[in-house]
Amino acid sequence: MQASANTDHGEASAPLAGILAEFDGPGALKKAATRVRDAGFTRWDCYSPFPVHGIDPAMGVRPTILPWIILGMGLTGLTIATVLQWWTNGVDYPFLISGKPLFGLPANIPIMFELTILLSAFGAFFGSLILNDLPRFYRPIFSSKRFRKVTDNGFFIGIDANDPQFDPNKIKTLFADMGTMGVEEFYDHDNRAALPRPIFRVGMILFLLGLIPLAFAVKSRHSTSSQPRWHFWRDMDFQPVVRAQRASAFFPDGRALRPQVEGTLAREQADKDPHLNQGKVNGKLVTTFPKAVLPLSMEMMVRGRDRFNTYCAPCHGRDGKGKGLVATRASSLGEGTWVPPSNLTDARIAKMPVGEIYQTIRYGVRNMPKYGPQIEVRDRWAIVAYIRALQRSQNASIKDVPEADRGKLK
Amino acid sequence: MNHPNPEVVLNDDRHLGPLGPKILRTMGGLGLLLLIVGLILGITGTEGGMSRFLFAYTTGFAFILSIALGAMFFVLVNHLTRAGWCASSRRIAEITLGTMPILAVLFLPILVSVLMGYGGLFSWADHGIASKDHLIHLKAGYLNPVFFAIRWVIYFAIWIQLSKYYLGNSLRQDDSGDPALTSRMQKWSALSTLLFALTLTFASFDLLMSLDPHWFSTIFGVYYFAGSVIAFQAFGILAMVLLQRKGKLEKSVSIEHFHDWGKLLFAFVFFWGYIAYSQFMLIWYANIPEETGWFHVRITGSWGGVALILVFAHFVIPFAGLMSRHAKRNLASLSFWAMWMLIMHCIDLYWVVMPNQGGHGHGSESIPGVHFQAVDLLAILGLFSLFVAGVAYVGRHCSLVAIKEPRLAESLAFENV
Repeated sequence: MQASANTDHGEASAPLAGILAEFDGPGALKKAATRVRDAGFTRWDCYSPFPVHGIDPAMGVRPTILPWIILGMGLTGLTIATVLQWWTNGVDYPFLISGKPLFGLPANIPIMFELTILLSAFGAFFGSLILNDLPRFYRPIFSSKRFRKVTDNGFFIGIDANDPQFDPNKIKTLFADMGTMGVEEFYDHDNRAALPRPIFRVGMILFLLGLIPLAFAVKSRHSTSSQPRWHFWRDMDFQPVVRAQRASAFFPDGRALRPQVEGTLAREQADKDPHLNQGKVNGKLVTTFPKAVLPLSMEMMVRGRDRFNTYCAPCHGRDGKGKGLVATRASSLGEGTWVPPSNLTDARIAKMPVGEIYQTIRYGVRNMPKYGPQIEVRDRWAIVAYIRALQRSQNASIKDVPEADRGKLK
Repeated sequence: MNHPNPEVVLNDDRHLGPLGPKILRTMGGLGLLLLIVGLILGITGTEGGMSRFLFAYTTGFAFILSIALGAMFFVLVNHLTRAGWCASSRRIAEITLGTMPILAVLFLPILVSVLMGYGGLFSWADHGIASKDHLIHLKAGYLNPVFFAIRWVIYFAIWIQLSKYYLGNSLRQDDSGDPALTSRMQKWSALSTLLFALTLTFASFDLLMSLDPHWFSTIFGVYYFAGSVIAFQAFGILAMVLLQRKGKLEKSVSIEHFHDWGKLLFAFVFFWGYIAYSQFMLIWYANIPEETGWFHVRITGSWGGVALILVFAHFVIPFAGLMSRHAKRNLASLSFWAMWMLIMHCIDLYWVVMPNQGGHGHGSESIPGVHFQAVDLLAILGLFSLFVAGVAYVGRHCSLVAIKEPRLAESLAFENV
């Protein structure tokens, strides 16, 4: 047994940091730990190459509070997620998503779950680091050469010099009494290599580089610029779309609108009955109904009224005077972008060729969208016929009423 | 580290002995009695008649099958991971798994009802119903009595083969002590796990999901799997606690092993919640009528009450209750939670199966309520009693500890840090 203050470094000036003793295996370590515990020391620790079962009670270590930290962090995450979702979508900016409740538990559970897990994991990871006093690159006990065995086959107990009961001679006697394999003093040489230089340098460079984008972001927020923004990701910002008065970059001939391909026909070019389908014959709008195919009838007028009330009346009104529900509401909002619908019974439209009314229904005009896709050919003509009837009825004289019925109007 | 000598296990009381025939007689007799009374009630007295009895029988069968399948998972996953901790308690799972041939016999009533074209259990089995219902008609390529029978023959062939292989080799090792048997079982565990996953998934589709032939959920197999593992962990814990109370396995199974069984139970309580919620949330969010119908009948009215019971009593409460290390290391609290989970798993299956009864399945106008009847309890308890008798029958002669398992010493020395 050697109980020497074996200072290999020969620096007597370094202050005494503690005393360590080596033991022969985990069993001896546990026994010794029990005695150190019972002697009332508080600033000491056991060091072994692997976790030793039962060392905690032998050292008198109280059960860790880590599980409670994790539980607390988990509940914090749960609360944050709940309040965040409730506040953002339920209160601050209510936004209805596919008819679901603004704060509906089923939709919010994934976030609550994930944030609970995330904060629990943070609690476990950082909590265990902090409770274990990590990361730390230097401890005085590392100055002992004998102590290096601890990562291989050495079992040690080290009592720190700042323990209230620290008395080198008493401790050495205690260790000797336990049957130690060797006792050694260790000194604090205070060479706290804070962080290995290369790691420090690389870290600093990365940190400074990381500030660059941040600096640009800050600059952009507090200044104006006429330059287009930077495109780190092109997304769909650059497309070969048609731009007015510009040559197309996509087609070699620079034309954006393509000429008709040889040997093909547009649908209308194959039309066998342009009067019926286009309301236009040889480039001239027709002034007559296509009676050969669709003879005017009471049945057609009733159908026209039905379609008119469905598709046209919401804007133009049931009487065609442009005072429909949508138009009334839109005018009352007073938005500058609203173009009021035409009065279908005024003279301008009464004089319009029927072909033009037909084309308006089919292709739309100004702000009125096209109704071709919704209303089929026969119904379009039925609506035109009904509009003509509206025009007549709104500008009628007493002569238009059959003589037999004139009495009723008075 | 001082490993305890595996020889201590030799001195342990590790045979059922006279207890085996006793359990076999009482539980077997009780089970048969309950089932017969249930059957008579089903035919004569009960509302719903034979159909009701068969639905209750299906609930009970799904329950005991899930315990055996959970045992299969326990055996396979521990071979797959070459786990050492469970070597002294794995035989319990192997014996439970050994009941597969008995389960095949108990499945016959369901199979016969399908082959007879009886529509009171599986509506798709009745040709009259199937020909009128367009959706069932379209699914008839899969949902027809003959193919159903073929599939179940395949499932049971695989399950019985796996149970014979893993129980048989483990018992052979008791005699020979040949470690090569363990290596061989480990080697085959990968393929076996694959077969296990596929058969369990399709069996759950056939047995439970097709009770409502309109509905489908691709996660349903995982849902049944999660419940199965819960059921077996609870069953195994209770079995070992009761055996220890009879003075058996006292040296072989320590509190460290119970702690780990409890951890698995705890983990799968959460897994079940996760899977059950995943199934619900996607269907709730998409809100497509063909998918929501199944949940609609189960979360409205009194079935909705059962659904809430499941949320809290199958997930939230046991999750909190089993979380602590102390709860798992105290046999009284651990067996309380095991009992609790076994009952909750049964209620879970009841909630899955029973709303389909009486044609109240998918698409019906009226929402049925929970109409609990005596026949339900009789069928479920009867089947469970027969299952317990079956476990005692399989385990009546063999050692309850794999006595020459190469990792036995490691298992006995195992400590939770």
